Amino acid sequence: MADKKRNYVLGFLLLILSFVWTWLVIETIPSGFGEGDIGPRAFPLLFGLCLGFLSVLLLLKSFLSKPIDPSKHSLANEYQSVIHRLPAALLLIEISAYGYLLKTIGFVIATPIVVLFVMFINLRIRSVKMLLGMSIGITLICWLIFEKALGIYLANGSWINLG
Amino acid sequence: MEQFLNAFALALTPMSIAAIGLGSLVGLIFGSIPGLTFTVALALALPISFSLDAVPAIGLLLGTYIGGMTGGSVSAILLGIPGTPSAAATVLDGHPMTKRGDASIALGTAVIVSVFGGLFSLVIMIVSVDLVSKVAIGFGPAEIFALVLFGFSTICGLCGNSLTKGLIAGVLGLMIMTIGLDAIEGVPRLTFGSVNMLQGVNLLVAMIGLFAVPFIIEAFSEDRTTAGRPKKMANVRPELPPFRLLFRNIGLMIRSSLIGTGIGAIPGTGGAIASFLAYDNAKRFSKNPETFGKGNIEGVIAPETANNAVTGGTLIPLLSLGIPGDPATAIVLAGLMIHGLVPGPALFMNHASEVYGIYIAVIIAYVWMLGLQLLGIRIFVHVLRVPREILAVVVLVLCAIGAYSIRNSAFDIYAMAIIGVAAYVLVAVRVPITPIILGMVLGPTLENEFRTAMMLSEGKLDIFYTSPTVIVFFSLAALVVVFQSLSELKMQRKAKQKVDLSDA
Repeated sequence: MADKKRNYVLGFLLLILSFVWTWLVIETIPSGFGEGDIGPRAFPLLFGLCLGFLSVLLLLKSFLSKPIDPSKHSLANEYQSVIHRLPAALLLIEISAYGYLLKTIGFVIATPIVVLFVMFINLRIRSVKMLLGMSIGITLICWLIFEKALGIYLANGSWINLG
Repeated sequence: MEQFLNAFALALTPMSIAAIGLGSLVGLIFGSIPGLTFTVALALALPISFSLDAVPAIGLLLGTYIGGMTGGSVSAILLGIPGTPSAAATVLDGHPMTKRGDASIALGTAVIVSVFGGLFSLVIMIVSVDLVSKVAIGFGPAEIFALVLFGFSTICGLCGNSLTKGLIAGVLGLMIMTIGLDAIEGVPRLTFGSVNMLQGVNLLVAMIGLFAVPFIIEAFSEDRTTAGRPKKMANVRPELPPFRLLFRNIGLMIRSSLIGTGIGAIPGTGGAIASFLAYDNAKRFSKNPETFGKGNIEGVIAPETANNAVTGGTLIPLLSLGIPGDPATAIVLAGLMIHGLVPGPALFMNHASEVYGIYIAVIIAYVWMLGLQLLGIRIFVHVLRVPREILAVVVLVLCAIGAYSIRNSAFDIYAMAIIGVAAYVLVAVRVPITPIILGMVLGPTLENEFRTAMMLSEGKLDIFYTSPTVIVFFSLAALVVVFQSLSELKMQRKAKQKVDLSDA
């Protein structure tokens, strides 16, 4: 997607965010009592309005800017601005699932499962030795360093607890 | 004197020395791997620092910062790819030296001058922080509000190519930090009845998400057939430069250190600008400017001295005023606050021993740096051969551990994932991340001080224009905004002229 088009989408989405934010702030946060009491509503409201103003500014700037000639458009810039939707969505699901698994089955079981899954699905690694070595190795090293050496609490599961 | 002795006792414990060494090693590794910045290392090191006392904890973070800043030169010299933006100028002459077979001397010189630059800036920092703090001791809420506003105006320098997008990022950071319980009246704001949301979005969780998650997505998205493959490199060992080489360049080292410290002290600048300015300065005053870019050792000395001198410079506004100059120091600021060391004028009154302990920790970090680079580099270069996607898997697990350990809550892991993916999309549409951090760090102080000032003045705004200090900070903020806007307009005009010329 060209930069100009992206800026339109970004500006539009941010404008919606500012509307929703401002509306929620007005509806749910009480205002101050005056006489120097600014109240908890003023700053979130001000920030919402600022975002709205800046979004309109971005839309206007995008509208007034000249489109870039595709022949002069740098390939390197285009590469940097590619959004990899699938890896991003997959990682969002994986991290959320990891959080849920940590809560339910604990760090010691959840970590090798997630590492195995990530290496198999995201990295397409098929070597059993590598998959097992990495998943067990990372779990063991992290458990030894964090839980045993540094005394940092790693999640215990509410369903299964291996410590 | 007693405070100094206390500081030595705090900084020279085995735990403290080990924590600083661990930080230096991790920073060195993260800094040297292109794409895996030391800011990510700092975000991951922050949760580890919880279980430590204040001085070892801040030592761990500063060790990571210093290690990262120095580590960038390793891949810059050996691979021709800067490990960090601060090492970009080192590539220009460092890599040609490697091609010529002088990698060992280039690495050795880079280490020595890095230590020189870092320690030089530390001395300037110690003198300046005390002076600035003494001035800032009389600040009330109105002055602190004006100061934070000035700190916030430096967002303009962190905006990248678009001032509008930078400001949007700053406002987003400010908005995120208003979620949760209001600090003054205890009113829940935008929590939607969730108990988890009452504490708001944790700054550390957000930092891990903002810096580490985009790296993981990028690493997972790479074409694994060609991209991201580490280049082959010869076995190397750093060689200490001859004393006369250093003596001959002592003037250049002092000049570069001054440039680095000065640039570092200005919030919103950073190591990359300092190293390029120092490189340019070295070339301008060199007897052989034509050899620059072809493997001139002065082209390694200047940027490496300057980018390490930035570390001391950035600590001046951080410790004396509580203003972080870059994302790395924003994380150090979070670490200080977690351990009850609130930067600002009162820091020296309440925690003098800890502050002096931090100074000693910086010296220890440079000693570790020297030892690690000179003795361990042969083993350490093997890390550069590990594929990025494998490192990303390790970073993923470390992110989850870091986010979970802050409040022992899976909610923080979900928050990290959402913020991280949002940050990845923002980076892709060229919205800079650093202003979000600045907004999140400075936002609560900005709001609380303004509200306290208004309460003290019973709603009269004259509290903001009767104090000369407030007027000075407002004027400085206005100047920064005007200059940045003018330079953006200039850039746009230049770009337009280029397009017109090429059309013609």
